[in-house]
Amino acid sequence: MPISSRFVIGSSIMLLAIGFVTLLGIVGSTAWLGEKSNSYFEQSNRSRALRVSAVELRSALQSAESSQRGYLVGGNEIYLAPYDAAKAEARTQLDRLKQLLPPSAQNQTVLDRVSRVVTEKLAEMDRTIALKSDLQESQASAVFRSNRGKALMDEANLFLSSIIRQADDRLETLLNEQRRNATLLRLATIIGGLVIVLVVGGATATVFRYAWEISRARNELNVLNQTLEERVVRRTAQLAEARDRAELLVAEVNHRVANSLSLVASLVRLQSNLITDQSSKEALKETEARILAVASVHKRLYSGDDARYVDLQEYLSSVLDNVEASMRGQGHVASLRYELEPLKLKTDSSINIGVIVTEWVTNAFKYAYPDKPGEVRVRLRRLAHGKAELSVEDDGVGRADGPAKGTGLGTRIVNAMARSIGGDVEYVAAGSGTVARLAFSAVLEG
Amino acid sequence: MRAWRSVLTVLALLQGISGLEAQQGPSGLTKPVVLPLFDPAKQRCNLPTDLGKVLAFAQDNERKFMQGVARGLQLAADDRGLEYRRAQAANDPARMVEQVRGFLEAKVGALVVAPVDPLSLAPALQQIIWSGAYVGTVVPPPATTILNAPQYLTGKVLGDEAARYIKTRLNGKARVVLLTHDSLQFLAPRFTAIRDSLKSVPGAVIVADISPLTVDEAGGASMMRTILLANPDIDVVLGADTVVLGALAALREAGKARDSQFFGGIDGEPAAVEEIKRGGPYKASVSLASPIFGYAMGQLAADWLEGKSIPQAMDILPKALTLQNLAQYEIDTTHPASVYRDARRRDEYLKMYGNICYDTRDQYLNFPWSSERR
Repeated sequence: MPISSRFVIGSSIMLLAIGFVTLLGIVGSTAWLGEKSNSYFEQSNRSRALRVSAVELRSALQSAESSQRGYLVGGNEIYLAPYDAAKAEARTQLDRLKQLLPPSAQNQTVLDRVSRVVTEKLAEMDRTIALKSDLQESQASAVFRSNRGKALMDEANLFLSSIIRQADDRLETLLNEQRRNATLLRLATIIGGLVIVLVVGGATATVFRYAWEISRARNELNVLNQTLEERVVRRTAQLAEARDRAELLVAEVNHRVANSLSLVASLVRLQSNLITDQSSKEALKETEARILAVASVHKRLYSGDDARYVDLQEYLSSVLDNVEASMRGQGHVASLRYELEPLKLKTDSSINIGVIVTEWVTNAFKYAYPDKPGEVRVRLRRLAHGKAELSVEDDGVGRADGPAKGTGLGTRIVNAMARSIGGDVEYVAAGSGTVARLAFSAVLEG
Repeated sequence: MRAWRSVLTVLALLQGISGLEAQQGPSGLTKPVVLPLFDPAKQRCNLPTDLGKVLAFAQDNERKFMQGVARGLQLAADDRGLEYRRAQAANDPARMVEQVRGFLEAKVGALVVAPVDPLSLAPALQQIIWSGAYVGTVVPPPATTILNAPQYLTGKVLGDEAARYIKTRLNGKARVVLLTHDSLQFLAPRFTAIRDSLKSVPGAVIVADISPLTVDEAGGASMMRTILLANPDIDVVLGADTVVLGALAALREAGKARDSQFFGGIDGEPAAVEEIKRGGPYKASVSLASPIFGYAMGQLAADWLEGKSIPQAMDILPKALTLQNLAQYEIDTTHPASVYRDARRRDEYLKMYGNICYDTRDQYLNFPWSSERR
């Protein structure tokens, strides 16, 4: 499962916190164990001093006894050389022992006994030496053989050995405690170190994994982008091909429609040629003109680049030329002049405008100048606000208020066509003639 | 080494004393020799002349141990048709000398003695030997037959018993009190042996190695009270039965006696045996079966008077009495005659060395004999 940046930040903070706490733990335990070590060290020193004092006291008593016995056996005072020093040392160490032995009822009893035994032992040795010095050999020997000296020495040794052993036990206990502390410290450091290594490892692994996943995502994106571009190019090509096919099809359809309309117009014309009735003939001629106007649009469409829009300037020029030619063929003498601004319009709207302009120009030819030549002017221009205006103007006889000339079909067609494109039709008298105007939206939609 | 140096000193003193008196007979074997094992098939000698069929016992005191010897002697005298006389010196050396001189004047045929003071008694004993009588002593010379206990072996038996207990029951760790006996230097090997046995248990620490002022229950108790001041917790106490019994009493008084402790003594004192029977802290007593060796000495005295060759020395072998073997031991000591007649059982208690008879009495032992001397 991929990891999120939120996870990376969260886990990093957590790992850092663990590392920090671990570090605090190591530092804290080190300080604590160090303090304990100091305490043990002080206690060890005290126990060691106590032990040394007991050993020195015993040693001093043994030196004094050895000196005394040497003198008693040999009678040579040279043996007494270390005697006084040993006695002094024994007293000194006894005082030290009193200071160092931890205060307790038991230890006080022990001290009292040791003091008494040491004092008595020294007195016994002093006495035997004095007797020997006074040449009272037998009395000195009797005291010696009484074994009292040995008994006192044994008793002193009993207590001093006990003190030494207790000091040794205490030292061993303290040493074991220190060993345990050292082990604890080592353990804490190792565990802390391991935790920190794990934390660092975990953080590194998270970062590396995150970076690796980002890198992998980038690579995957690149691959996707590359594929997408290829797919877009391929799709674009497919769309272009489809569009070309569609345009070809539309052109073909328009071509066929135009041909079919031209065929229909020809059939209408043939029919009108065969008809003798003038009104019917004219009706058919108008119909032919209308069909041709529509056909003209389709010709434009299949020959143009875009079937959706029609260049009105070009289209209307063609339509007007056809109408003028048709009118002249029917004997009308008016002239046609047109001014068309460049304007593109949707195909449906263009057909409607083509039919409207055909109706209006045909009417002008037929009715504005019934018996004399005149000019019919067609203008296409852009207006403000996306509007355009088509106007057909003549200087003819004008629109009379009487009954409509012709069948009235043309007017209905114009109105219907104008309505379908949302246009407004108006007829305005201008001088003697008439101006027919169509205002419509020139906005290219879709 | 120190013990043997002391032995030689005693020997020198004995020689000095005998030199001072008018010499009426041979001084015997004064230089230590290693005796061969006793040969019962040795040729017979002449019968002692002008001596009464009397077995006398000069007893130092009325301790149980000596009472056992007296009983054994009495039984042997009865069995062999000897008149039995007994004199008790109540630990008075002069009185004992006087009593022995009385036996000399009475021309007793055999004397067994437990000397109070070997030095002062030695001349009187020599005179009895010179008179042709049998002289058996309990340990010190001079004597035609010296009864001794192998002191090192005695201590070793007790030390080994204690070491085994420490290893098996106290997880190899124990604070040991060793109550020694300074006034009798010939007992020193006992304590050397105990120390040697305890060396096999590294966890056994001798916290006190000391002699009570008096070797009796009061001395043992007093010393233990002192020891408890220095070492409040004790696991093992070893020494002579009397002092160990005193130590046990002191521990009980202090409320520090436990059944898991090991109290072991030497001598097979009846009170110690009673403690063992109770199954408390007293676990063993190394016994020197005094009725058995007393009986044997009585038999040897009778053999001497019949001109037979008898041992110059005899070991009473130590036996550790425990709850397991106590019953058999009591049967043996109650009936020493049956043990003496059964060679196998006798060898469990006694070991005999050298040969001597009336005709070779000049070879009497006049040095502190020990089978452990090499």
